Amino acid sequence: MASPSGPSGGKAPLGADLVIPALALGFAVYFFFSIADLSWEAKANGVLIGAILVSLIAIQLVRVGVQVAKGRANLGFERLWAPRDALPKRMGLVLITIAFIVAIRWAGLTLSLFVALAAALYLMGVRKPVPLVAVPLAVAASAYLLFIAALDSDLPRGPVEQLLAALFQ
Amino acid sequence: MTWAFLLDQFAVQFGLWWVIWPAILLGIVVGILPGFSPQNTLIMLLPLTLAVKVEVALAFMIALYCANHLAGGIPAILVKIPGSGGAAATTLDGYPMTRKGQAQQALVLCFTASVFGGLITTLATLALLPWLSQLGLYLRSVEMVVVMLFGLTLIAVIAAKDMLKGLIAGFFGLLIGVIGTDHIYNTPRATLGFIELYDGVPLVPALIGLFAISEALVMVEEKLIVAKDGLERAAGARWAGTIEGLRMSLEHWWQIVWTSFVGLAIGIIPGAGASVAAFVAYQQSRLWSKHPELYGTGIPEGVIAPESANNGVKSGTLVPMMALGVPGGSTAAVMMIVLQYHGMVMGPRLFVTNPGIAYGVFVSMAVAYLFMVFTILPLARYMSRIVLIPTTYLAPVIVLVTIVAAFGERQYLFDMALALVFGVIGYIAHKTSYHVTAILIGIILGPVFEQYLVRSLRISEGDFSILFSSTLGNVLWVLLALSLALPAWRGYRQRKALAAEQLGDER
Repeated sequence: MASPSGPSGGKAPLGADLVIPALALGFAVYFFFSIADLSWEAKANGVLIGAILVSLIAIQLVRVGVQVAKGRANLGFERLWAPRDALPKRMGLVLITIAFIVAIRWAGLTLSLFVALAAALYLMGVRKPVPLVAVPLAVAASAYLLFIAALDSDLPRGPVEQLLAALFQ
Repeated sequence: MTWAFLLDQFAVQFGLWWVIWPAILLGIVVGILPGFSPQNTLIMLLPLTLAVKVEVALAFMIALYCANHLAGGIPAILVKIPGSGGAAATTLDGYPMTRKGQAQQALVLCFTASVFGGLITTLATLALLPWLSQLGLYLRSVEMVVVMLFGLTLIAVIAAKDMLKGLIAGFFGLLIGVIGTDHIYNTPRATLGFIELYDGVPLVPALIGLFAISEALVMVEEKLIVAKDGLERAAGARWAGTIEGLRMSLEHWWQIVWTSFVGLAIGIIPGAGASVAAFVAYQQSRLWSKHPELYGTGIPEGVIAPESANNGVKSGTLVPMMALGVPGGSTAAVMMIVLQYHGMVMGPRLFVTNPGIAYGVFVSMAVAYLFMVFTILPLARYMSRIVLIPTTYLAPVIVLVTIVAAFGERQYLFDMALALVFGVIGYIAHKTSYHVTAILIGIILGPVFEQYLVRSLRISEGDFSILFSSTLGNVLWVLLALSLALPAWRGYRQRKALAAEQLGDER
């Protein structure tokens, strides 16, 4: 079993190893509920896959349980967060992405991408004004040219797109 | 397939030089970046490949795919950092050659082995494709159920370090792939109340999340992709003695041929991939060598074997995708998504309904290799400097640009959020060694697996024993069981031997 030893007293922190099984188990249970009243054709596949998945998860739980019982592992989650100093950057990047997805509806692709990328670069430690502006500008302009001007996709248009459309029409 | 048809296909592909050349250049650039895989690049450029004609998209994807594999060897040789998993074995002799002052020769060996290994296997695949494509006709719904499970199991067994984790990841992906309405009555299942999931989980956001976003979230841990000592070496790389490298390649032409066929054979197995092929070829090359003790000290054979196998894999990987509709790897999965978006139905029928696409894939690959001969040699030295880009810039650009790309397939903002969710799942999977490729292949195979399973069960009126009713199917079941049992048995033997060794040491 891949069980790298962790920082906590030489024991491998295997709690993190149970996150994916927990997610999978939760989803399998929800899946079983959602198909409970359906015809057998709609159920068969889900039941088969779900049953195998639950069995595999049970084996994994036993395996982790044995390691913990033998004192070789604990239920720590260090592997998910390590290294700790990267955690704020990682969390920040996720939060900025969520903000970007929310803001794009009214700010449009170009402006929201520019702001989100500038914020993400700042978060990552870029402090020099030139790259802090130039990189987001180049990426946002490229995205505009590719997705809006060239491909005419349905990505939301905001003030920048409206201004550029007015200028070039 | 006639000669006239084949020549026509070559003419069409040569006419697409304006797509192939930029794709090669781009593939080389991203191939040098460790952790930046061809599938991520293809995902980022997905709106482009979806918007152009299918022939153009195909030529672009194939050229980028081939160039990317080839370029992975550059940082592996110069700074001992493989640009991709497939180039990991190249470091074993490539880097010692650099240390001996033969960096340039090693690079030339890498390029010639890659280009000619890839070209030979592509032409071989093209010649054998009429027979390989017939393979699908012998497989009915019952056998296809086993083939799907077999592919998934091999990925779990070979790609993931821990078989159980690989299997959990694969079956989790399969269950995610069942989300949406069923094939018979169109009743929604496990859609979490989102109408956007009625058609099933869209593959592009799943791909973007599992690969690009999760990778970027891991990337923020390091300031640079290269380590400090690697950085100095990258800055000091020189070009000299190209002719010497070409002479070495000519001397070892037979090794290029046979190790590329090792790659082709492994590539046909779904899930095996370039990393496995490269290591197997390296191991086989050493096994049959007259001087096995020199392997690892910086000899040309040690660079040629993994590189030609690593490139020989590519045409093999596409065979199950084209002939069976089962992607042989993650890049093939991305290509399959693009082709499906353009209305192509993968499988044996493709060779009848769209022969231009079915054979065009391999012709395009051969043409891309021919173009690469003239592109790669003068460029590699300068391109190796790309590893110097800090992750401070790379990670945010990858996350935000790929999130925008997630919108491309269905034009739903919902898909952007879905990509982020898959990104977080992929990150957890990365950190805890649950292989994201297994999850992805599961998601891709989920709907197809259900289609074949329900078709079989409707024939038998719900009796599961139909899955064991065909001879070929039963042979596949046995192979499936063996593929699960043998690694477990080998692991048990290794643990036992280790325990005995430790006991001996204590005494």
